[in-house]
Amino acid sequence: MGSAAAETASKAALLIAAVARETGGSWPGARGAAAQAVALGERLATLANVDAQVFTAALDALAQGAPDLKSRLEEAAAVPVEIAEKAADVAEAGLHVAERCDGQLRADAAGAAALAAGAALAAAHLVRANLALPAADERVRRAFTAADNARYAASQALDAGP
Amino acid sequence: MGGDADLVQRCLNGEPGAWDDLVALYSRYVYAIVSQGYRLTGPDAEDAFQDVFLRVYDRLGTLRNPDAIRPWIAQLTRRVCLDHIGRKDDDPHPAEPESADATLDELDEAFAVREALGRLSDDCQEVLDRFFCRDESYRTIGQELGIPAGTIASRISRCLAKLKEQLDA
Repeated sequence: MGSAAAETASKAALLIAAVARETGGSWPGARGAAAQAVALGERLATLANVDAQVFTAALDALAQGAPDLKSRLEEAAAVPVEIAEKAADVAEAGLHVAERCDGQLRADAAGAAALAAGAALAAAHLVRANLALPAADERVRRAFTAADNARYAASQALDAGP
Repeated sequence: MGGDADLVQRCLNGEPGAWDDLVALYSRYVYAIVSQGYRLTGPDAEDAFQDVFLRVYDRLGTLRNPDAIRPWIAQLTRRVCLDHIGRKDDDPHPAEPESADATLDELDEAFAVREALGRLSDDCQEVLDRFFCRDESYRTIGQELGIPAGTIASRISRCLAKLKEQLDA
């Protein structure tokens, strides 16, 4: 599930990059925005693989009652936190592009921001649910803060214009 | 006279610290060619690395164009690596590894970007380093630099445009 969230946010980032590139000459910052989105997309694709690996390791440790179970679970919790924060950055990048891109492409950028916000929320939920961490845990707080920021950015992107 | 030419002249004049500056500037570049381009590891890589800088020290006075020190060092490094591979394999004419040219192109590009980055304002260097090298989120960058998170993407775009201007210059 964490890798699905990361892959979703990664695809959203690449869509945002494509919108920025398509807008091109009419916006001087388009290439810089595209470069940021590509960088975010690549990191999230890497995180999708990492999440799958650490989650499998955590499940194995759980099934075997491994002595290092706690550290495996801690490791598994760290990745979705990072996914949530990176997905929030994608939503922010989506807002940045939606406010400046060619009007005909704005819906794509805003939609991508919304996808990223969904991915951030899914990842935050995983941090709390998969590992039964208390709501006051710092990792849970960070992940849900990221999800809230992503949702705010996505809603602004969706309101950026028709 | 450019920065590289100045550095070469300082080395040739025997100015204190000049060699340290030259080694500091090119050590990662040389080591990357040795280890990534020619796949030398461990003691082989260390020997090659030292040989390169010994040859640089011995032959710097023969360098015709001091502004071209980087390609000159790259060429020296290639020869040193091939010498090491030849001695190890007992082959006087070892073939270049297939990936060497592509790796060197990538390293040259990375070096050029690093040089161009060094010519940007401190603010731009900071924000680009944090986002692209240290992998920090917009929120973290905003908090650390006291900038609203919503303006980081714009700032990075502006700094990337300036970086491109430097690279094109």
